[in-house]
Amino acid sequence: MTRLRTLIKPAVPFAIALGIWFAPIPAGLTAPAWHLFAVFVAAIASVLIGAFPILTDAMIAVGVVVLTGTITPAQAFSGFANTSVLLVVIAFIVAQAVVKSGLGRRISLFMVSRFGGSSLGLAYSIALTDAAIAPAFPSNTARGGVLFPIVLSVSKGAGSNPDDPEGRRLGGYLMFCTMASLALSSALWLTATSANPIGVQIAQKLGVEIGFGNWLLAASVPALVAIGILPLLVAKLFPPRVGATPEAPRAARAELARAGPLSRDEWITAVVFAVMVAGWVLADRLKLNVTSVAFMGFGVLLVTGVLTIEDIAEQGDTLATFLWLAVLFALSGQLNELGFMSYAGERLATRLGGLSWPAMYVTLVSLYVGIHYMFVSQSSQVLALLGVFLDVGIRSGVPAPLMAYSLLFASSYFSAITPQGGSQNIIFAASGYLTQRELYQLGFFTTLAFLAVFLVIGTPWVLFVTR
Amino acid sequence: MVVAMAIAAGACGPATEPPASVAPPGEWREFEGTWNATGTRHTISLGADRKAAVLDLTGTMLLAGKGRPGVGFRSEVIALSDSATGLIGRSVWTDERGDQVYSEIKGEGTAARNRFEGTILGGTGRYAGATGTYQFSWQFVLEAEDGSIQGRAVDIKGRVRPGQTEPGGVRQ
Repeated sequence: MTRLRTLIKPAVPFAIALGIWFAPIPAGLTAPAWHLFAVFVAAIASVLIGAFPILTDAMIAVGVVVLTGTITPAQAFSGFANTSVLLVVIAFIVAQAVVKSGLGRRISLFMVSRFGGSSLGLAYSIALTDAAIAPAFPSNTARGGVLFPIVLSVSKGAGSNPDDPEGRRLGGYLMFCTMASLALSSALWLTATSANPIGVQIAQKLGVEIGFGNWLLAASVPALVAIGILPLLVAKLFPPRVGATPEAPRAARAELARAGPLSRDEWITAVVFAVMVAGWVLADRLKLNVTSVAFMGFGVLLVTGVLTIEDIAEQGDTLATFLWLAVLFALSGQLNELGFMSYAGERLATRLGGLSWPAMYVTLVSLYVGIHYMFVSQSSQVLALLGVFLDVGIRSGVPAPLMAYSLLFASSYFSAITPQGGSQNIIFAASGYLTQRELYQLGFFTTLAFLAVFLVIGTPWVLFVTR
Repeated sequence: MVVAMAIAAGACGPATEPPASVAPPGEWREFEGTWNATGTRHTISLGADRKAAVLDLTGTMLLAGKGRPGVGFRSEVIALSDSATGLIGRSVWTDERGDQVYSEIKGEGTAARNRFEGTILGGTGRYAGATGTYQFSWQFVLEAEDGSIQGRAVDIKGRVRPGQTEPGGVRQ
């Protein structure tokens, strides 16, 4: 039976691709859009059922769509020059400097000395730190770049390594909590991700005025409740198997005292990171490109010898991540450019005619979240579908502010649904602590929980504050 | 993944309205619909008060109404917009069979006068020889940091008259 499953599994994605490819093209779509959809769905399905690793799927997918003339090589390879993709890769490499220099160990000891009584304490401290710093960071990918070295250091400091089947669980738990926390902190603050201001502009064009203060007021209750349940929920879904460790904070304090003053490399890494964080926070005001800030920091770490060419050569996983992320980013973008995304969104939304407004509201928000399986960027879904769903909701009688806020918040919290659902996720997904299958499973259940919190608690709260 | 497949199946299933039929030649058929488009806008300044831009847009046009020429089309538009003289453009709509509809677009293209008119100039396959007109205005147009733009038009209204059928069944 197991042998049969092993033989059948690799055939499933090909069967899905061929089945969709040769099915009649839906009226209103073109052949390239339909064929690209067939390949994209098959690639994601393959990852989910564990037929092939995501890198294999991405390479086969891009080969098929270019060689069949579905999209041009320039379109297929455009992800390799995308600034978000490059930022993920550079942030991942730069994070290794924190570990290598020893600064990471010091941060880890500090974190454990303060919050290390339990894995839950660590997860809450990271989630609350993220929520506190989020309004200053217009890029949640950059924010992920700040948090990742801390989480990585804490995990390694606790003896949790990706290649240890049992020991990886604490690291996996903290990685996923942080990834999902970034989704929630982006929903909490208007300025916490670049997709939010775009969404606010769309809402404004449809008659809903939203500012920094009323966004925070509307988001505060559901987002904080979701942040409150996140570490508990992930602990249930993916137990870190590290119980209470009341002696750990004292031991960490003693170890921290023995560590002595910062070394040269620690000083350089700390200063480079501080300057990078300042650049990311002030990027909009100073008109700086956040990816270029990361490149500059990387360059300084190389010049000063904190990172060496040999260190980069050891980062084989980073190259694999760059390859699959760039390809999936481009293919998802092309699905949008070929009109598939807006076609699917518009058709779905207009099929719901005749529902009462509460039913329409719940259905639209749920569909909007579910359809994020097809996107590799928050901003691209906001641009392609927010206006469609908001317009259909308002026309169906859903109170405009409620529809707008719910879709805007969903545009952030849905990013946890897949490892590629937001570029900030990739840094954590690529750490190796969690398998792709685990990431999809955790993503599904946590996003479902977020959706429930924002619908059940967020809806009456938003109606109350916008009455 | 099951969620995504179910959503896609729901989105790509048969249209709720009857399938588009080819009207008898000479009969005007009315349609309405929506258009979601994405693309690029390259703008140059012609002094303090005047700007010109080249637009390159692709997207999905979904039509409704019994007279619609098709359920929907992939639409491509190239246009030159001048804040002083308005916008002129050309558009190609392509359906699931690869049949195309060609049209010219004219309009003001300013925030105050956001109204465009299209003239259908014929096409290929079942749209060969079709004539007609349509109008639309943008519900919103947004420009991203990288120069890409995304827009949505919701009140497309028009009418189309299919071309005459040549011997052999091909319209002209």
